Amino acid sequence: MPRSNIQRSNVRYSAPNSGDAANSHHRIKILKKVVLVTLAIIAVRLFAIQIIEHDHWVAKADEQHTLLEAIVAKRGEIYMMDGDEPAAVVLNQTTYQIIIDPSVTEKDKIQHALATYAATYQTADLDEVYSEEGLRYAIIAKNVPKSIADQIAAEEISAVWFAKNNQRVYPEGDLASGLLGFVNADGIGQYGVEGSLNNLLSGKDGLLKSTADVNKVALSIGNDNVKIPAEDGKNIVLSVDRGLQKGVEERAINAINNTAASNASVLIMNSNTGEVLTMANLPDYDPANYGNVTDASAYVNYVTDDPYEPASICKNFAFSAAINEGVMTPDTTFFNQHYEEVDDWKIWNAEQRSSLYGTLTMRQALYWSLNTGSIYALKLLGGDPTRINQQGREKLYDYYYNKFRLGQATGIELIEAEGYIEDPNEGWGRDSTYANMTFGQNLKITMLQTATAFSAVINGGYWRTPTVVKGELVDDKIVPLGSTSTGIEDKILSDETSAMMREMLINNRDYKVRDGTDRPGYDVGGKSGTAQVVRNGAYDDTFAELVGSYIGFVAPAGEMPEYVIMVRMWGEGQSIGSGDAMGLFDDISNYLINYLKIKPGA
Amino acid sequence: MALGLIIIYAIGPMRANVLNNTYGTNYGTHDFFLGQLRSVLISVAAFFLAFKVIPYKYIQKYSKPIMITALALSVLLWVLALSGSSLAKCELGECRWYNLGPVSFQPAEFLKLALVIYLADFLTRKREEGVVGKWQEFWLPLLLVCGLSLFLVVIAQGDLGTGVALISIIFGTLLVAGVPAKQYLIMLALVLVVAVGAVATSAHRMERVNAWLDTLQGAESSDSTYHIENAMLAIGVGGLTGVGIGNSVQATGYLPESINDSVFAIMGETFGFIGLLIILVVFGALLLRMLKVADGTADMDRRILVIGVFSWTLAQVVVNIMAMTSLVPVTGITLPLLSYGGTSMLFIAFAIGCVCQISCYTSREVIKNEDISSRGRLGGSHHASRRRSS
Repeated sequence: MPRSNIQRSNVRYSAPNSGDAANSHHRIKILKKVVLVTLAIIAVRLFAIQIIEHDHWVAKADEQHTLLEAIVAKRGEIYMMDGDEPAAVVLNQTTYQIIIDPSVTEKDKIQHALATYAATYQTADLDEVYSEEGLRYAIIAKNVPKSIADQIAAEEISAVWFAKNNQRVYPEGDLASGLLGFVNADGIGQYGVEGSLNNLLSGKDGLLKSTADVNKVALSIGNDNVKIPAEDGKNIVLSVDRGLQKGVEERAINAINNTAASNASVLIMNSNTGEVLTMANLPDYDPANYGNVTDASAYVNYVTDDPYEPASICKNFAFSAAINEGVMTPDTTFFNQHYEEVDDWKIWNAEQRSSLYGTLTMRQALYWSLNTGSIYALKLLGGDPTRINQQGREKLYDYYYNKFRLGQATGIELIEAEGYIEDPNEGWGRDSTYANMTFGQNLKITMLQTATAFSAVINGGYWRTPTVVKGELVDDKIVPLGSTSTGIEDKILSDETSAMMREMLINNRDYKVRDGTDRPGYDVGGKSGTAQVVRNGAYDDTFAELVGSYIGFVAPAGEMPEYVIMVRMWGEGQSIGSGDAMGLFDDISNYLINYLKIKPGA
Repeated sequence: MALGLIIIYAIGPMRANVLNNTYGTNYGTHDFFLGQLRSVLISVAAFFLAFKVIPYKYIQKYSKPIMITALALSVLLWVLALSGSSLAKCELGECRWYNLGPVSFQPAEFLKLALVIYLADFLTRKREEGVVGKWQEFWLPLLLVCGLSLFLVVIAQGDLGTGVALISIIFGTLLVAGVPAKQYLIMLALVLVVAVGAVATSAHRMERVNAWLDTLQGAESSDSTYHIENAMLAIGVGGLTGVGIGNSVQATGYLPESINDSVFAIMGETFGFIGLLIILVVFGALLLRMLKVADGTADMDRRILVIGVFSWTLAQVVVNIMAMTSLVPVTGITLPLLSYGGTSMLFIAFAIGCVCQISCYTSREVIKNEDISSRGRLGGSHHASRRRSS
């Protein structure tokens, strides 16, 4: 028993009594056990956490440490043409919101900084913000440019911080708002080019996957950091001419102010290429403050997205069809008795002067816009001058729908509505429907479809996909953007048909030459259209509300026309005749000649 | 200490970065490392001072003035804090430090050392007087001194962690001082009741207890379980071998107090299970060595002192690590010698220095006995366990 001997000797040496010391030794043994047991418990616990639950904690750590951050792609800018040079009409700007924590009492400093630098951007009253109890977050200024935000940041006020915004800026204000559209608060394009070309403009956001610290700052720790760079959006150059668009919009506003119309839409396109030079919708709105618009109809691009009845403008298409089929010439005659009876309906001419009663040429029918004349063209298409038949309907349908592509989306780079053309063989009252279609009622087509088809009528018979995009801007150069337009070119009418139509359309405006509206040295052709409005399922014969349209072309005398202008004016409950639309056309056609410096022909 | 230095070196820059980003402070990359290096150097100096320079006799002689000074410093801090003086440094509403320009000083750490020295002297004297266990001569003065210390630390400074260390010191020393078992257990029960009462009546302490219970049950994460969850996450991520020095992600701001109270968790992430096991073994060896020194010390005064230091170290190590592994609720307590924090390291280094001095002193006097006894004890237990298993 060596151990107890030692203890005894120790005890004798130091302690008052031996029992106490043995007790002390015993108690130290207890402490030793305490140490071993607790450390063992801890070791087991560590084994459980680090070895058994290891995967669980690693998964949790990934969840907590991994930062997935979108690298935001820069949205492309939008340009129009200024002569041959692109000119920016939609730009980006980084602006800042100023946010404060009112619980940090630095009101005087903040007030001073705001008053000194950013008074015009202030959106909230500081006294009001500070009077609200418990408020920790208040936006006090918006749209603050970087330079000013930097100045305020330099003041180093601890209660102030900044939130970055990417903002669209419109140097031309309201110009072409219906065409351009806007970008909503989520950064997504709405309406117009912003909406239809959103994918191209917005580009592709990149992705940053990394291990991050608690402040979401990426760390260099970890092996699975991923960086996919953002693809910035494309800078889109529109074919629209900025100056022409501006001039046309001014004239359209004048027309609205001087007539009962509340709305006007104008489309100018190159009849030989399909390029849109102007697409105006008025009244317009400020795309930078799109939220201020009270009626969402203000966003609508009526040129492409609102099918309607262009009325007698469609006589061009019925006439073209009959001429192209070789069953009619401008000199073909018919008997006009002011009305035509179809399916027991009497369809009347708008123009009923007695001098027109009797035998007339088709040229005269177009000049006076006689519905009886266009119905006669439909009869000729059917091969039976006495009545409308199935063959006539099918032929007209073939021309309207398949050749002129009316009632079909054109394929332009914009949001489009299709409209419709009635089937020639289904339903009841086919003959009267088709009779109506010859003068542009009982169908729904867009202004763009109409103007594209009209271009084919006058350009030698080529239907070409219209386009509003010239290309993308890369290093200040315009590069074609192949994928946006389908680019169809389809010869649908003979050269002769087209020539005859041009001759008749120019003839339509001979009185305009006489009264000096159309200047000598220029060929201006045109056709009006006045549509009745459907009320309770039938055309309203009181003419209380009418939609006025006019389409025409401008060319140096004796030359192939290059420009088609289409005008549409309307107002709810207002009787807008084609005369109002024609007035605006006259104004614009002359402005176009001046603006584009079109030289007179021989 | 070297290990602590490596860890602080590795995570100090991250800590500085996080603090700079979060609070707009301006810590340099190596500020924390240099701070820790300074603390380590001072602590090593203190260790050798206690080990080789100051004979324990002097320390023993001045035990009363030391205790009075320590209490006075804590009282003064309390008064300064109440009067709102800038000399008192407060964090999160608790004023535990003196603000002395570039350095700060935590009197509670000094109080732990002073209490160990004082109790060694006090309990020995009472033993010699033969009044251990008597109400008037023993318990009353003891309760007065200990009660005042605990009041200053737990109530005035709101430092429950140091309170736990003090209680551990008190009961550790009482245990070896030969207090009758019945009285000892009654006192222990009383303190437990008071402690439970103190926790139950304090909303913020109850929150920690609830957070701990929530974590144990695997309940939904919340703000209050954040600290403990992230400590376990750091340890769990470490796995068997750890992520390696400088690769700790939890240290980049996820884990609160990553360089002081939670440094064990960061070590777990960095060095893994093997690393932590080594740390545990080192601490275990240190603690057992202290017990051996105490056992082998003939002088009761010194024996109690060693047990005081042992209890102090044990409390800090066990409570800190158990909090990090969710075995007990989170309490603000540093891991001895490894955590960032100058005062804590300084005093425990000094205390261990004292133990080393005693151990040399002791082994010189009972050198033969100790050798024999240790061998015998090892053999005996070995043998015994074999017998049980057969």
